[in-house]
Amino acid sequence: MSEQRTLTRPGTEPKTRPRLGLKNWLGLKTLYLREVRRFSKVYIQTVLAPVVTTLIFLAIFVLAIGKLRGEINGVPFIQFLAPGLVMMAIIQNAFANASSSLMSAKMQGNIVDTLMPPLTANELVLAYASGGATRGVAVGIAVALAMSLFVSLVPQNFLLILFHGVAASYMMAMLGIIGGVWAEKNEQMAAITSFVVTPLSFLSGTFYSIDRLPDYLQTIAYFNPFFYAIDGLRAGFIGRSDGPVFLGFVVMLAVNLVLWIVCRRLFASGYKLKA
Amino acid sequence: MGEPFRQMMETRPARGLPNWRGLWTLYAKEVRRFIKIFGQTLLAPVVTTLLFLTVFAVAFGGGRMVAGIPYVQFLTPGLIMMSILQNAFSNTSTSLIQMKLNENIVDTLMPPISAFEYATAFILSGATRGIMVAVGVGGALSFVEPVGIHNIGLILFYGCAAALMMSTIGLITGIWAEKFDHISTVTNFIILPLSFLSGTFFSIERFTPLLQSFSHVNPFFYLIDGFRYGFTGHADGSLEIGIALVTVIDVALVTVCYLMLRSGYKLKE
Repeated sequence: MSEQRTLTRPGTEPKTRPRLGLKNWLGLKTLYLREVRRFSKVYIQTVLAPVVTTLIFLAIFVLAIGKLRGEINGVPFIQFLAPGLVMMAIIQNAFANASSSLMSAKMQGNIVDTLMPPLTANELVLAYASGGATRGVAVGIAVALAMSLFVSLVPQNFLLILFHGVAASYMMAMLGIIGGVWAEKNEQMAAITSFVVTPLSFLSGTFYSIDRLPDYLQTIAYFNPFFYAIDGLRAGFIGRSDGPVFLGFVVMLAVNLVLWIVCRRLFASGYKLKA
Repeated sequence: MGEPFRQMMETRPARGLPNWRGLWTLYAKEVRRFIKIFGQTLLAPVVTTLLFLTVFAVAFGGGRMVAGIPYVQFLTPGLIMMSILQNAFSNTSTSLIQMKLNENIVDTLMPPISAFEYATAFILSGATRGIMVAVGVGGALSFVEPVGIHNIGLILFYGCAAALMMSTIGLITGIWAEKFDHISTVTNFIILPLSFLSGTFFSIERFTPLLQSFSHVNPFFYLIDGFRYGFTGHADGSLEIGIALVTVIDVALVTVCYLMLRSGYKLKE
């Protein structure tokens, strides 16, 4: 019995990637979809759980503080808090997605399946970062919708919300890539989350206006991209910001650019992945 | 059969006597498991709790009183209790599910350890983590805001009762769960909400009457409230009811857990 096989003439073999210089759109799309399906398959843990946690935070703050505090930046405390919580959820989830995807691929030893295909470093960064950013944005929207049942969350400036939501998602997804590439054990990953990401997402103005902080901490805030992300998104909802809006744009773009270069360098050099 | 060989073959004491060495070994193994990754199991909860304190203190504003005491003093015992609840649960539940997923749980089921000894070793190890985290959190928080002690007996009772309760619930969850997802679901949708909403951060006077009456049958509320009384001398609920309810629930949970282990439910099936 002869094997059925389509013979191809030389030069017409199925291509694994387009000729040099062209984007491998199929590979990019495949890896991106894999990343999205990875989290949407377990949406209870990846989307619903953050929504519940954020609503609990909202409830705690309402019950503990509620009307005891006056207005902040011209709005009631709860309206000030809600956009901060949306951004906190974006930050934590965009990071968790990219980092845990790379980490579990390394642990299970199947990372080779994403390194072998003919994808360039740029395409790898774009696919992983977009996968993480998609989760960040998805969680952000879900959290905002859930909270709008309890708090009036009306967009004042849609462009600001869109920009900061997406920019923060990409920033955190790329930090997640860096963490995921660097970490060799789950403990290291957990350490980054507990000692870097969570503190920064808690202390960068999610729950309070930074003019409550001592002067030197306010100065530090102006060098903290998390602050601009939270402040910018909040400005999109309440129309008032702590920091300059334009500077927020510039900082977020610059941080994303630098992170992109670092991530591309990591994948291109094969640091810890191909070494 | 020579005497040394007979002794070597003796894997557990005669029928009816407890296997102290097996119990101790399993307990020590469980404690070493979390100590080895102390950054994640002991240090991280301390940092997280300090973050909560900072965020609430800054957002709340200084000088305000809750239930007649400064807010930070009200909050501190609640945060310590919250870390006991979350960590005692997390220890037994993740240990069990990891052993199941790594397929090395058989190494703890094969040795001649009875169901009661098995339950005791795991529950005590989870409780040990809960108490160690509590001491760490308490120590760290006392640098920020010294909290007086009103009744050390009640602090010890509620601290240990909470650690035992959550460690046992963690063990039951671990026995039942088949995937890591199951553990995360219980953590995210039951344990976290209950530990956050049972009065850690606020006095239940702020609840509507309906929710207040619900709180009076919520064991987490009594744990937090009683523990706080041990520090501040102020309780929202009744201490006697709290002690009785918590004791009954602890005994009931340990019994359920023992029966599950004895039947081999999901572990030896």
